[in-house]
This record gives sequence, structure tokens and C-alpha cells, in this order.
Amino acid sequence: MTNYLTVMFAITIVYLAITERFAVYARLLGIQGFILFGITLSELHKVSIGDLLFVSSETLFFKGIVVPYMITRIIKSTNVVKVANDTLSGFYELLFIIISLLISIFMAYTLKNPYINTVFLTIAFFTMFSGLIIIVTHRLIISHLIGFLVLENSVFIFSIAVGNEMPMLINIGTLLDIFVGVLILGFFGMKLKPNIDELTTLKD
Amino acid sequence: MILTLFLIISASLGFAIFFSGSKLLTKFIVIIFGLLHAAFSVYSWTRIGSTELTYFTYDHLAVLFLTILSVIGTAVIYHGFIYVSKDELRKYNIYHSSLILLITCISGAYLSNNLSALWIFAEATTLAVAGLIYHDRTTISLEATWKYVFLSSVGIALAFIGILFISMTMNGTPYNDLSFNSISAVAANAKPLYLKISFLFIFVGFATKMEIFPMHTIGIDANAVAPSPVAALISSGLVNMGFITIFRIYTSLCGSAIFGWMNNLLILVGILSLLTAAGYMLKAKHLKRMFAYSTLENMGLLAIALGAGGGGYYAAVLLIIMHSFIKSGLFIQMNQLYRVMGTLWLDKSGRYLKIFPAGALVLIVGSVCIMAIPPSGLFLTEMMIFKALVLNGNWFVLITSAFLLCCIMYALTIRIMHVVFSAPRADTGFVPDEKISAAETVSQFVFFVVVIILCFYQPPFLKEMIEQSISVLPK
Repeated sequence: MTNYLTVMFAITIVYLAITERFAVYARLLGIQGFILFGITLSELHKVSIGDLLFVSSETLFFKGIVVPYMITRIIKSTNVVKVANDTLSGFYELLFIIISLLISIFMAYTLKNPYINTVFLTIAFFTMFSGLIIIVTHRLIISHLIGFLVLENSVFIFSIAVGNEMPMLINIGTLLDIFVGVLILGFFGMKLKPNIDELTTLKD
Repeated sequence: MILTLFLIISASLGFAIFFSGSKLLTKFIVIIFGLLHAAFSVYSWTRIGSTELTYFTYDHLAVLFLTILSVIGTAVIYHGFIYVSKDELRKYNIYHSSLILLITCISGAYLSNNLSALWIFAEATTLAVAGLIYHDRTTISLEATWKYVFLSSVGIALAFIGILFISMTMNGTPYNDLSFNSISAVAANAKPLYLKISFLFIFVGFATKMEIFPMHTIGIDANAVAPSPVAALISSGLVNMGFITIFRIYTSLCGSAIFGWMNNLLILVGILSLLTAAGYMLKAKHLKRMFAYSTLENMGLLAIALGAGGGGYYAAVLLIIMHSFIKSGLFIQMNQLYRVMGTLWLDKSGRYLKIFPAGALVLIVGSVCIMAIPPSGLFLTEMMIFKALVLNGNWFVLITSAFLLCCIMYALTIRIMHVVFSAPRADTGFVPDEKISAAETVSQFVFFVVVIILCFYQPPFLKEMIEQSISVLPK
């Protein structure tokens, strides 16, 4: 079950790389939240009920509902629909994403460990690289936000990977999600006009 | 018990300020906090070596840094009162609330003996610093705050991945917490690749706090835009927090197979930091940005010192202690300069000696100190670092860093001389509406005098504290 869900998660990442519409980004992040909820339920069977409830509600409520809702609000308030024209084209982005997938597979197999599912580790690396690629190759601030949220999801998958051994780490990872999500999306998302691409007042 | 009280009272004071109805009451609460922090620092000296609340240990380095934070924090609080004196009550309260929260979180991070606890405090400092950088509510402060929060969050996320890799090395061992002692115990037999990945991620993540290459940029913007007293705290207390994290993980992993690799990485990062600092300082046009790059330079030297090993360890700790005093003094001075000149742009500033002689003297003495020109204590640390490099036969690193330091000295000297003695290249037409008392420069002179004294005499208790802090590292 976990393997199917992780592969579905990887498909959403590839889709994220080629899409240009922010509404699709919001939807995909919501879907990722639901998939992570499924992974949490199937993977964290050894942790206490309290921890499981906390993490499940975080994925389902925060990642699956709140984050997409906030992004949709930002999109509506700024009327920004698509990524900037001069951004890296979908083809090259897809190319980078595929290369990062190959690197992720290589890294995960190099780090093969009896305690960690290799498919899981591959997807965690892949998600991390994808988040960084989105941040680096896009120009609009809202794209950077999306990239960061993808990076956050990778942190979550990494923490689930070691979750049965150290449930405390998942709670900390969740704390990061909520803290940054609320701060960045709730405050800066609205204040900073995420449809602008010029943040160059501060320079040498 | 005392630590619990300190944390609860500090947090309560920070939140209480939000509901304060007058500036006088806010001021009173902040002074109470200052006294509380000072008392807690004194108390920490009596508890060296003991652990409280499982996650906090009063070790030598933590107690030393806590004391420095208390001393610098007092100056920051005092100059903060001046900086925000004309602000409306809401801004005034938010500033002080964030300041209390920041100092408390930094203190908690210093004392953490557990990587996850330290990480949580580091995360909380991002929130507190954001409130302080955004204090002026200008477009530029919003931009700097956004960059700080965003990059800090990326850094924190990467550091967390590093922590997860450390935890993966603990699978199948009796250790299942992330205390530095457990990490140290596991490291010797852990798979080197896991340790390398975790060190790399944690280093890059906490480089945002330590203001070192490759995540130095946010520190530069934050220092340039934040209120000067806050910049003083960021470049001392917060930078020290980044250092203590990297230092603790470095010492925890020093018994592992990746020790040599970590040293090489630190030296590489150090050289790149010096190169970046020299490049940007040679074309710096803004005084605060120039001093922010000087922080990058000093952190680069510190990384080289750690990488060099031997006498470099002692030099690294002594360097960061002195850097904290010098840099906070210089950043506090920036506000006084701004108040009499109305600008921090180099082209528009000049004749500072004529306008405000006491401030000009601070700038000259502070610059001499930060450039490590005798009698600055930094001269001593640089000599120790070079000696360690010579003993290791690291001639390339020695020559490269000496050359880059010369470039930095040149860049700093011509700019400071221009501000102090020359006429401004462009007229701003600014007329100061207030006269600054020379008494305001006292705290800065005190800081610089401490650094100068340390060049000639290091009290035995300080030597003992530093030596104990580095005692676990290989000789």
C-alpha cells in the first residue's frame, strides 16, 4: 500500500514540474496532503495513538485543506494565474526533475539500510530536489512558496521514514510545517504581493 | 527548577508587553527581563556541568556564551530604548516583545544538550528576528524580512533532514535520543556516508544563523535593514547560536571516520567565505552591509581555525567571543552615525570626526579591532590560526587567507577613513534634529576595551572555560 502511495506522490511531483497554472499547484499540494495522510496511516502503526492522531490530522487538515485554501486565496487576491513567461520552460524543468529522480534512486540505493524502505527514501530525496528546483528556476514569489511547501513535504516523508523509531521527530517536523506554513502563507503571502518577481532593492 | 522559572517568566514578560498600555510600563518590564537574564547568567556559573529538564546542560561553552549574551543584551536593550523612543506604542511593544523572545530562545539554544531541542529554539529565533527586522515597516524591511524568513526556513528544513540522517545512524543501537552524548557514542561505528550527509545538511542549514557561506546572504540583508541594536544582537548572539550548533555537532562527530573530511569542508567553506567577503567589501557602498560582510569574513576565519585543529580550536572560541563584542559595538554605533548624518551610504557620509567626535573615535577603534590590528585581541587569534596552519603545512590556505585579509583591510580602511575625515561625495542636505550625548558611546568603548585587554591578558577563568569547551577535541 505504502509503495503505491509513494509512487502516486512521485507522479504529483512530476506533474508539478510541468504545470504552469497556480490553481493546479494548489490542487496538487492538496492531493499530496491526502496521500501523505494515507502514508502516515499505513506506515506509522507502531507509534502511540496520540502521535498518530496528531500527525494524521496535520496531514489531512493542514496539508490537505488549509494550505491549498490559503494558496487559492493568494491567487484570487493577486490575480496571478500562471508562472512568469521568462521562467525555465516546462520541457527543461521536466528534464531536471527526471535527472533528480535518477540521482535520488542512486542515493537511496547507496544509503540502503535494513531499517528504512528504499522506495520511501528515493521519493523523499526526489521531493527535496524537486522543491529546490522549483525555488531556483522560478521567479515569482508565489512559486518560491510552492517550492518551499514541496520541500516541507520531503521533510515530512524523511521524518516518516524514521518515525517508528523516533516518533518525536515527526512531531517536530509537523511543528515546522505549521510554523512556517502559517507565517509564510498567512503573513507574507498576503503582504508581499506574491505576483511580483523583483526583490532586488537590497543589493550591493 | 531555576531554568523552568527563567523560561516561564521570560515568555510571560514577552507576552505581557503586548498588553502594556504605556511605554513606561514596557520599559519597566524589559528592564526586569534584563535583570532576570543577568541573574540567570550568574546562576549558570554555579551550575557548570549539571543538567536540568533533561534537555539542557550548563556546559562551559553554553555558560560562557550566555554571559556574553547577557552583557551584550544589556547594551542592546539600552540602545533599543533610544532607537524606538519615538515609535507609537504598538510598534514599541512588538519590538520589545520580539527582543525578549529572541534573547530567551537564543539562551535556550545555548543550553540545549539535544539536537532536536536546539533545532526548535533555532526555529523560534526566526520568528522573533522576523518581528524585529520588520520593525520599520518599510518596503525594504519587508523585503529583508521575507528573505530572512524564507531562507531561514529553507535552512531549517535542510538542517532537519540532517538531523533525520543522524537519527538513521541510531537505528539498531541502544541510543534513541538525539542528545550530543548519544550522537557522539554512535558516531564511531556509524556509516560514514550517513554522517557526511547529516553534517553537510546541518552545516548548510545552520549557516543561515552563523552567517557563513553558502547561506550568508540573508544575514547581510538582515543586518543592513534591522534596527542597529537588533543588528548588534543578530551579529553576536544569533551568530554565536549558529556557531554553537555547528561546533557541538562537529565535536560529537570528531571521533568518527569523517573527522578529516569535516576539517577539509570547514577549510573550504572558510576560504570561500573570505573570498566572498573580500569581493563584496571591495565594492561596498553601505556601511552596515560592509560590517555585515565583515561578520562573514570572521566566520570564515573561524571555520578555517576549526578545520586547522590544534591551537586553532582555542583561537576559534576566543575569536567568536571577541567578535561578538566588536561587532555589536560597531552596529550600535551605526545608529548614532545615522542620527547625525541621516544616511549610511558611503557616498553621502563624511566628516564624522567634526560632526560627532566621540562616535568617530568609536568607529576608528572598532575598525582597528575588527581588522585585527594590534592591540586588538583578534590579532592574537589570527596569529594562532596562522600558526596552526603552518604546523599543519597548510601553506596554500595560509597564503590565500592572508591575501584575502589584506584585501578586506584595504576595503575597510579606505571606507572608514572616508567617513571619518573626508567630505561627503554627495550632499544629502540632512540637518540633524537632535544632539547625541557622548555618554551614549560608553558601552561601545567598554566592549572594545575588553577586546584590547584580551590581547594582552586572558584571565585564568576564561582560559579554563575555553579549554574545557574544546577538551573533547583531538589535540
